[in-house]
Amino acid sequence: MGSVLTRNCVTVSGVPSGRPMVFAHGFGCDQAMWRFVAPDFEVDHRVVLFDHVGAGRSDLSAYDPGKYGSLRGYASDIVEICRALDLRDVVLVGHSVSAMIGVLALQEAPELFGALVMVGPNPRYVNDGDYVGGFSRADIAGLLDALDSNHLGWSTQMAPVIMGNHPENPELAEELTNSFCRTDPDIARQFARVTFLSDNRADLAAVAVPTLVMQCSEDVIAPDVVGRYVHANVPGSTFTQLKAVGHVPHLSAPEETTAAIRAFLAG
Amino acid sequence: MTGAPGDPRTQLGRLLEDDPADLYENAPMGYLSALPDGRIVKVNRTFGAWTGRSSEEMLGVRFQDLLTIGGRVFHETHVLPLLRMQGAVREIALDVVRVDGSVLPCLMNAVEVRDDEGTPLLLRATLFEATARRRYERELLSAQRAAEESEARSRTVQRVVSDLAAATTVADVAAVVVERGREALGARGAALVLVEEGPTEDVPRLHTEHAAGLPEVLLHELREAALGQLALELAQGVRTVTLDDRLRAERPEIAGAMADGGVASLVLVPVAADSRRLGVLVLGLGDIGQGDLISLDEPGAVHVTGPADVELLWTLGRQAGQALERARLYEETARQAERSAFLLEAARLLASAADVAETVERLATLAVARLADLCAIDLATEHGVDRAVVRHRDPALQVFADELRQRQLAQRRSPHPAQQALNKRQTVWLPVLDEELLRQITVDDRHLEITRELQLVSMISVPFVVEGRALGVITLVADAARGRFTAADVEVAEQLGLQMALVLAKAQRYELDVHTSHALQANLLPPHPPEVAGLRMAVRYLAATHGVEVGGDFYDVVPLSDQQVALAVGDVVGHDITAAATMGQLTSVYRALLVDRPAPSAMIDRLQASWSLLGLQRMATALFATLDPATGQLRIASAGHLAPLLLTGGSAEFLPVTPSRMLGAPPAPAPALEWAGVLPAGATLVLFTDGLVESRSADIDEGLAHLLAAVEAAGTTDPDELCDRLLAVMTGTHRADDIALLVLTRTG
Repeated sequence: MGSVLTRNCVTVSGVPSGRPMVFAHGFGCDQAMWRFVAPDFEVDHRVVLFDHVGAGRSDLSAYDPGKYGSLRGYASDIVEICRALDLRDVVLVGHSVSAMIGVLALQEAPELFGALVMVGPNPRYVNDGDYVGGFSRADIAGLLDALDSNHLGWSTQMAPVIMGNHPENPELAEELTNSFCRTDPDIARQFARVTFLSDNRADLAAVAVPTLVMQCSEDVIAPDVVGRYVHANVPGSTFTQLKAVGHVPHLSAPEETTAAIRAFLAG
Repeated sequence: MTGAPGDPRTQLGRLLEDDPADLYENAPMGYLSALPDGRIVKVNRTFGAWTGRSSEEMLGVRFQDLLTIGGRVFHETHVLPLLRMQGAVREIALDVVRVDGSVLPCLMNAVEVRDDEGTPLLLRATLFEATARRRYERELLSAQRAAEESEARSRTVQRVVSDLAAATTVADVAAVVVERGREALGARGAALVLVEEGPTEDVPRLHTEHAAGLPEVLLHELREAALGQLALELAQGVRTVTLDDRLRAERPEIAGAMADGGVASLVLVPVAADSRRLGVLVLGLGDIGQGDLISLDEPGAVHVTGPADVELLWTLGRQAGQALERARLYEETARQAERSAFLLEAARLLASAADVAETVERLATLAVARLADLCAIDLATEHGVDRAVVRHRDPALQVFADELRQRQLAQRRSPHPAQQALNKRQTVWLPVLDEELLRQITVDDRHLEITRELQLVSMISVPFVVEGRALGVITLVADAARGRFTAADVEVAEQLGLQMALVLAKAQRYELDVHTSHALQANLLPPHPPEVAGLRMAVRYLAATHGVEVGGDFYDVVPLSDQQVALAVGDVVGHDITAAATMGQLTSVYRALLVDRPAPSAMIDRLQASWSLLGLQRMATALFATLDPATGQLRIASAGHLAPLLLTGGSAEFLPVTPSRMLGAPPAPAPALEWAGVLPAGATLVLFTDGLVESRSADIDEGLAHLLAAVEAAGTTDPDELCDRLLAVMTGTHRADDIALLVLTRTG
């Protein structure tokens, strides 16, 4: 099972006997996103961080377009990580798309999980009839396009650096400005498609563990109405409205985020 | 040192000393400061001018709200996290939306200003217009993609060409085309539908040669829909049919089948060689082909197949067409050779069969060995149609064939192809036997059950037509494993039918002739010689075994009023009905002449004299004799006939009867000669026709010597016994000529 831990660049910290908390990063970054929140839980939890395959320092060669052509592929990885570490009663904290990946992981191995924290969840980004997901099809097409633009620049500039050469060219190392959240451009494209084109609304009703839905303010990616929808559709879920603005409260308002999670876990 | 106002250095100095505020406002880049939540607190005029807003209008607006949706999401998911984590970002591509809705492509650098504890206070960003650069990047990207696609396309074409070159059969070609076509378009499924070779009809039949990933029900609906307008479909080039409201309204069956099969649109590619339209490659495209992801196309949006795709598919269709033609030619050549060999074999077998019964047996055996799985032959007889033979390829399944044989063709109005073929005197070809057809042509439930059991799928009935009459019909049936009969199979079946018709015609004539001649001859010959005191007699008549070569051989024994007996043995030239008829006439005239009791030589003279008057058409040889059983007085005259044989005391000799000319030959200048002598008591006289001595040997002298020896070796004077011995020794099972034999022994 060591390969699973390497594949997903799993890092474990905190109290070994504490309740396990697995933090799953969302689209666009890697486990570094949790850097302001995870330390707070290390004092009384066993904290597990990881990178989805294709993100951060995961094993890019493990990327299988078939497996990761659906969110279930990512969910299976979480289950495998929990099993590899022999975790039980896991608190799974999923941000953005990983909130939905968490829902699918629960479906796959309900015996592993004890609670679910959904940070800025959106089960379907594309509007559908009366359902408001926040985006039209044209929006998503534009979004995928915009991502391409940045990944083009990224790939042309960064690829040689990622390949690990050029120690004789220090100026190239200086170019490595966006050193976090690196992603392979082709995988990022696929991940974006899977993220923004999935529809997991039907899976919400099956969530059977205590669940916290954390809704940010003015979140363009997961609007209030979507958070309310998720809360309404996950049986017995808790809904917490954050003052934090934007889509990444664990970076922009770590204290509020931590407090909300602790309140939920204590409740 | 200060220069004059007009001095360029003075101007430069003033510009360089310009106040920072002006530099900020009019810098050649956008500059803005925002709170951590993105609300703009300061922005320069340049950025305002770029976006069509005044600086004041932008204050309090969140920076990300100025971006396109894509930019906004990227900002949230990438830029802000990066700023939080590393404090700065560089060269981020973002699209700013101008007041008029147009888009300004920018590159942004930004830093996060933090307090001593690291809490973010402010976001500072510079934005550079990057229209040209971004366009360049996009062009680069699209060029790169186009190159990749073009490379993929030429790879596809290359692979198709090389795969097709290796495909020798139609089935191989179809598999290649379907697989490669599917790959090229990332299609959910594909099928090659070909125009079927078949009976010429207004509406061509279609069949699916190869399919993968498309539900059969959809293919069925497509074939149905294409009927009647196939030419139109094919003429339209590469065409796309999209599952939309119009299709749902106009072709609900197809729309339903597409929806069930997860097919959003169909691309139809003509498969043609030169101007011959061979079929259609059908490609079924699903939603994006990304599993269960949402389609980015609006529901009902038309799937656009790009010109490059169309070009590729067009090429694929043409390559496929040529490969199909080549494969067909190849298969056809192989089939031709096989067919010729088969027909040759058939001709040989049919020619060597002894009679019709054996011929149909052989034909059926041959047919199931090479051409069909089941073969039935029906023959027309005076009493209707008789099912002469039904044979199955597999001996284990012959039991079903035997059951089928019990099922005679019902009535003349039966829709069964065999009956139809008989009625119309034309080939009837049912390329596809469907359930409904089977139901029509079977006579009872068990019949239907057997056809299902045998998995019969295709049928040909060819009548045996001779001079406008159908003498019978051969029905060939193929099972599912063999597949449908093709036009080439029909051709072979027709050749076979033709051969069989000739055999039948010959056999029928032959059998009729044989029957008639033998009947005639048997009627003309006296059934058995009468009892005559002082004589023991035996007669034999054996028809030729071979064919209609009925001879005009005869014998006659007539007791005369003066205790004498008139004897005659003769042979009318020829081996046919005319010969038999001439013989009949000849014996009648002979008997009439006996009234006057002419001597044997006089009998010959009278017959010669009246031959032309009698209108007898053939010449004849004959021996005429009178015998007095009491005294043994014997007179014999020969009209070109073989001399009789005398057996006396165990030794045999030919009586030296001098023959005169044959009856019917130009009359001899002198009267016929006569041999006269005595037949001793106990002696035996053997009168015979040439059939007896020519059966084994072509040389007549050899034959006569053989006969002489045989008579002596027989060691009997009992006429019956001697007859049997002589026939046993002198003849084999095959007789080329008929034989008349008259043996008498004088007991007195």
